[in-house]
Amino acid sequence: MRITKSRTRPFSVTPQLEPGAPSDLELMKAIQAEDPDALSQLYDRYNGILKALILRVIHNEAEADDLLQEIFMEIWNQAKNFSSQKGKPLGWMVTLARRRAIDGLRKKQAYARAEERLQNETEQQPDAWVHNSTEEEIVLSDTRSLIRKVISGLPPAQQEAIDLAFFRGMSQREIAAKTNTPLGTVKTRLELGLKKIYDGLKELKGEL
Amino acid sequence: MNFKEFQSQSRLYVIGALETEELEEFEKARNKFGKKAEDYIGECYGLHEAFALSLRPAKSSDAIKDRLMTMVRARKEA
Repeated sequence: MRITKSRTRPFSVTPQLEPGAPSDLELMKAIQAEDPDALSQLYDRYNGILKALILRVIHNEAEADDLLQEIFMEIWNQAKNFSSQKGKPLGWMVTLARRRAIDGLRKKQAYARAEERLQNETEQQPDAWVHNSTEEEIVLSDTRSLIRKVISGLPPAQQEAIDLAFFRGMSQREIAAKTNTPLGTVKTRLELGLKKIYDGLKELKGEL
Repeated sequence: MNFKEFQSQSRLYVIGALETEELEEFEKARNKFGKKAEDYIGECYGLHEAFALSLRPAKSSDAIKDRLMTMVRARKEA
């Protein structure tokens, strides 16, 4: 996977498109004009990324598939609310998908079960951020590999705090309770970790 | 809150990690800094994109797309 360069935002990690393919923004505009083929193309382009995000939150294949379908339906229904002035289509879709996945997790009151699955999968799952001992064995895309490089440069405790906040939707207090860590330490870990990732991604832009 | 502190809080805000009591102060600062604040928050949402792209894409069944497109076309015709 190659990536496009962006001169307007601090970091752009959008996969590069085939020559002549419509941009994400063009597809979003077509979806706003109720063109189903545009949604079909956007689905082909991003269903894998969004499914991975959903799976990271809810850890259930069947539920993730159902949610993926619901999210793309919401993209269709809510497309009129997308504004390119506030960000890029992929960012908007990821934000929407994350929110729906975390809502889904909470509604199903599946925390306990997901917790158990997460414990098992953290040991086995090559995509986990923390303690990822098999990462070198995986052929990663350029984009993912560079982003992973930034994230893996963080101390494990900072990675864990960000992972729990972003992928599990946990508050600072919930993270403190789960990790048996003082609240102030959790806040510091999140602040330092996010700043390093933000700065790292900005530097990465030069490599992309 | 100065702008540097606001930037730090913005990064927590976009991942939903600000506590309720911090949100009030954050919103005050957001109003105070105006467009500069909105621009920075917009940039921070790039973190969402990066976190998603840090994951290996997962395969979904073809049936999902078929169902989706059937629903979308039905919705459009309704």
